[in-house]
Amino acid sequence: MPVPASTFLLLSAVLFTLGAIGFMVRRNPLVVFMCIELMLNAVNLAFAAMSRYLNSLDGVVFAFLVITVAAAEVVVGIAIIVQVYRAGRQMDVDELDLMKE
Amino acid sequence: MVVGFAIVAAWELVTAVGVVAFRKPMYNALSLVANMLGLAVLFLMLNAQFLFAAQIIVYAGAVMVLFVFIIALMNPEADISFIPRGTEWIYGVVFGVIFAALLGALLFNRGLTGRPGAFTPEVIAATGNVQTIGILLYTRFLFPVEVTSVLLLIAAVGAVYLAMRRIR
Amino acid sequence: MEILAPLVLLAPIAGFVVNALFGRLLPRRVAGWVGAGSIGLAFVFALLVFSQVLGGQKVDQTYFTWWQSGDFNVPFNLYVDALSTLMVLVITGVGFLIHVYSIGYMRDDPGYSRFFAYMNLFVFSMLLLVLSGNLVWLIIGWAMVGLSSYLLIGFWFERRSAVLAARKAFVMNTIGDIGMVFAAFLIFLNLRVLDFQDLFNRVHQLPKGGAVITAICLLLLVGAVAKSAQLPLHTWLPDAMEGPTPVSALIHAATMVTAGVYLVARMHLLYDWAPTAAATVAVIGGVTAFFAATIGTSQVDIKRILAYSTMSQIGYMFLAVGIGAYTAGMFHFMTHAFFKALLFLAAGNVIHAFHDDQDIRHMGNVRAGLPITFWTFLIGTLSISGFPLFAGFFSKDEIIRAALNATGGEFWLGVLALLTAGLTAYYMFRLFFTAFGWEWLAHDDRHLHEALPVQTIPIVILAGGAVVAGYIPVASFLTPVFGRAVEVGTAAFIGLAALSVLVALVGFAVAYLLHARRPELAVAWRTRLGPIHALVEHKYYIDELYDRLFVRPGLALARFLNDVVEPRVIDGAVNAVAAAVMVEAQDVRGIQTGRVRSYALVTLGGAVGVLVIVAWYLGYLPWKFGA
Repeated sequence: MPVPASTFLLLSAVLFTLGAIGFMVRRNPLVVFMCIELMLNAVNLAFAAMSRYLNSLDGVVFAFLVITVAAAEVVVGIAIIVQVYRAGRQMDVDELDLMKE
Repeated sequence: MVVGFAIVAAWELVTAVGVVAFRKPMYNALSLVANMLGLAVLFLMLNAQFLFAAQIIVYAGAVMVLFVFIIALMNPEADISFIPRGTEWIYGVVFGVIFAALLGALLFNRGLTGRPGAFTPEVIAATGNVQTIGILLYTRFLFPVEVTSVLLLIAAVGAVYLAMRRIR
Repeated sequence: MEILAPLVLLAPIAGFVVNALFGRLLPRRVAGWVGAGSIGLAFVFALLVFSQVLGGQKVDQTYFTWWQSGDFNVPFNLYVDALSTLMVLVITGVGFLIHVYSIGYMRDDPGYSRFFAYMNLFVFSMLLLVLSGNLVWLIIGWAMVGLSSYLLIGFWFERRSAVLAARKAFVMNTIGDIGMVFAAFLIFLNLRVLDFQDLFNRVHQLPKGGAVITAICLLLLVGAVAKSAQLPLHTWLPDAMEGPTPVSALIHAATMVTAGVYLVARMHLLYDWAPTAAATVAVIGGVTAFFAATIGTSQVDIKRILAYSTMSQIGYMFLAVGIGAYTAGMFHFMTHAFFKALLFLAAGNVIHAFHDDQDIRHMGNVRAGLPITFWTFLIGTLSISGFPLFAGFFSKDEIIRAALNATGGEFWLGVLALLTAGLTAYYMFRLFFTAFGWEWLAHDDRHLHEALPVQTIPIVILAGGAVVAGYIPVASFLTPVFGRAVEVGTAAFIGLAALSVLVALVGFAVAYLLHARRPELAVAWRTRLGPIHALVEHKYYIDELYDRLFVRPGLALARFLNDVVEPRVIDGAVNAVAAAVMVEAQDVRGIQTGRVRSYALVTLGGAVGVLVIVAWYLGYLPWKFGA
């Protein structure tokens, strides 16, 4: 494989960081969610890359499970966001601090 | 091969920035879809055909569709200004950069090695990618599979419950 | 024999358990006879033991190992020899009679079964003390006796004076206990044994008259002095008269207060090896005997007079064991048990007859109303005063003779003891003439009633003992323990007898003159000797001295600790910790902003931290220390 593993991993790292920065910066909860998805994807990429370079299928299987879990998480998260919207609150992550101590 | 990788990598980076940077949520969502498709191509390059298919079907095809629906339904305005409240975003950016630098340094220079397994591409090709993964799922990874199924059940129940309840 | 000894112990403890748990459910008479009967049963067992010891048997029997750690090995063993058998016989015999008396005396008291329970507990503790074969169990019995004494002195606990007296007795006893325990420490440190037999075998390893053995004996003496109410730890005994009269008879006359004498006698090999300590014992005994007798001449409460007389007679016993005349001391113990118990019980009858008034000035001329009590009390008085043919004469003379025979300081103690005998006769007959009188009134409008048979029969038996006990050959019985007593020439015997009888007669005559014939002379003399009389009447102001020296500072310290140290220092420390925690918690609360983003920030920060550590560990960071 001409492209070394570390390149894939670097790409994965950059994507992850972009996702993280986006998560920290944006205020719309939906966009924040999407950044989370971006991070998860980056991790999947890392898994798949290492799986390929180590001649093992463990990484692939795990990435598959990550996809499944991400799907479940999206379902619940969207439900919560919808409820927040329906309650008439601001779609602003910084405003949603009902669980404050 | 390298050229193909370079193109896809560039596509990934651009769409990722798009996910983060666009003002209108719909644009963000579409960027994410594009990003996922690019990722699927990367999977294909990495000889993970099953993952390629799963990514497109599940992630881009189901999850992102849900996202798009919700955005269309709720029609939020692009009102939220980009300027975040407070000083946290500075921290976020700083941390993020550090994070990236560290990760990059760690991963790029080191030439990571692990314990090589037995599944060379030839071996996989002999049985077929999907079949091999299927066998693995139901033998070595049976427990995680079952747990994940329970998790999905919980998610479904939770979604139904949350959809019923009214937040005051 | 191995079974008999524990049986002697089991009977009273069984009585205690029955009366303690079920006493209130049982009818009065049953509870009383259970209490008395258990002691009677113990007496029967004691007689059986006696018959075997008489045949020359001696037993040191271990029943089980109680405590073992390293070479600190404490078994539960009983040591039955002539000395302990004598003690057991007296305790159970006299104790039984007193219990029977109590059935009548305490009949109107609401705490009837509680009384018998406590009394049985006391007898058990005393027997344990006496029969124990090692120092640890002796101390256990010692402490339990102190507890029983506390419970019984404070029996009428609604009375403030009784409660205070009980507390005073217990505190002073505890001082003695501390001495005993320290003595045990020293013994174990130096000889590594606490078992009597082993201890006696090893005593000679210590240098004779050395600092260690003297310290041990003096510390044991502290315990003995506290328990036996000798100077300087004597002030609790007169106050202990707050308890019911049978309690005074049993505990504070016949048995518990003699525990100190028993201790010295049991440890005689140690005291033989530490002459200085033995001399201290003798001096304390002699001085206390005289001192208490002087106080007894001025008191007006019948029980207090008897209490001081007890103190004085025990002084005699201490004097005896201090100079090495152990058999004489134990002989006097036995006779004293008889006549002192007799005196107390008879006094109890009189007190009841005068409706619980204990002032002797309000009594008098009871010969017609309480005939049995009258005559038995007279016998007791004659015995304690040392009149010939009565028991007290024989035992007291043996002690005085032993003292006068010795050289040096002991001779002067003997002289003091002789003087004390005269004083004893004086104050006892003063008591007799004032409280009992001699007149036979045909018609008495005070309507005095003699006591019930259950009360008079034991007194009569005791009176018999007070006469006959002098003829019992205690010395030969105790030979296996103490060795042969010194033989006395007939001339010396008669000479001393004459001297002591003379002294006693003088005392009697003075008492007769001042209190029976010409009371106005007594008043005159009291005013003449004004200051001396005041000194003696106030017990040499020792109670006041102790109050100033120990009680007030102690209370002040306690108050200081309670009012200042407790709220400020202790509570303050605890509260300060709590307050600090609260303040911290308030500050930490701020972390929970409720906003997802700040939580994520923290998570990311943590991840960065982990990466930094990994990078450093792999050598990517410039500085490396101790990686």
